Amino acid sequence: MHIPDGFLSPQTFLPAYAVAAGAWAWAARGLRRQLDETTVPRLAMLTALAYGLGLVMVPLPGGTSGHALGVALLALMFGVRTAFVAYSLVLLLQALLFGAGGITSLPVNALAMGLAGAAGAVATKRLLTRAGDTIAVGVAAWMSVLLPAVLVALVLGIQPLLAHRADGTPLFFPFGLAITLPAVILPHLLIGIGEAVLTVLVWRFAKSRKWV
Amino acid sequence: MGLSSRGRLAAYATAAVAASLVHEPAILAVALACALGLAGQPRWRLLNRTLWAIVAFNLTISFGYVLIATWQGNFRTNYLLLVNLRVVLLVFLGFWFASHVNVLAALRGRPTLELLATLALGQMQVFARIVRDFRLAFESRNPARPRLADRARNAAAQGQTLLEKSLATGTEVALAMRSRGTFDD
Repeated sequence: MHIPDGFLSPQTFLPAYAVAAGAWAWAARGLRRQLDETTVPRLAMLTALAYGLGLVMVPLPGGTSGHALGVALLALMFGVRTAFVAYSLVLLLQALLFGAGGITSLPVNALAMGLAGAAGAVATKRLLTRAGDTIAVGVAAWMSVLLPAVLVALVLGIQPLLAHRADGTPLFFPFGLAITLPAVILPHLLIGIGEAVLTVLVWRFAKSRKWV
Repeated sequence: MGLSSRGRLAAYATAAVAASLVHEPAILAVALACALGLAGQPRWRLLNRTLWAIVAFNLTISFGYVLIATWQGNFRTNYLLLVNLRVVLLVFLGFWFASHVNVLAALRGRPTLELLATLALGQMQVFARIVRDFRLAFESRNPARPRLADRARNAAAQGQTLLEKSLATGTEVALAMRSRGTFDD
């Protein structure tokens, strides 16, 4: 669900950079302590998996793309902070190497997918602990897709209000909330199911090897 | 240009912000022409990459805008030019920057990020090689169109190999790092 470069106004991405900078500083604190020769290969493997999943994307009419994230796996195995840093790195590499996302949309993409997605997954799994591992992990993964989709749709949908000419012509993203909310959220309700299946499969793989 | 990685990053970030503050298609077209001129010999390769990277999204959004704005009676050609030129310019600048800067070198001074990026980039190469090997092997085993069940079995085997192989490679690298004291700081 990357927002591409050029569709966000400076009124959006500059404050988003300020918020993201604080969040990155918070997330990086203590990261080094968590990394050792056991966790590093797993983190690198799941980061690369998230990178690969994010590149298989389909453009959506609402102005973004549909794809699995892999951030739930990172969050459930390593926590929100580490998942946010790792996913931000994934977004940076995707932007620089493939033009997916971009420098102006990086903070919004990172906050939505990397932070909100990770936090949503961890919170949902905690809430559903009694429902059993498979259901808790599956719903957490589904939520890790849906929550960022809602945020991305909201940020895109307010662009015509934030930046337009005197005659009302938009300067950045052209569609309002009435279009972005259904166009972005509805496909992600289905994509979230795919993400849930994938996450449960990898989660079981991880459990069979006693990583979690 | 004799700029350092950080200098290039600052120049790129400034140009990206400036491009998003300009709302005249003519100025953006001139800026794009200047960027093409300054990019030197790889300019057409970079432009080609740029166009392939954005074509799906921009066509989707542009067609959507044409349909909806025409229906609402407020279609503006100027908007289509503005947004498409801005996106081409920003993505071109991004690829131009990336072609001159080693991402790992740019992360120098941030040891944790550099470590993670090094490992993740290595894993991506492992993933790409395994996917290519599986595809070639699957094609060679199936001269006729394979059934869905065969595809699913192949995908499952590929997925498991991806995870196990990349983990094994990551472990080897991490142990090599351990022996060099990377985790002792």
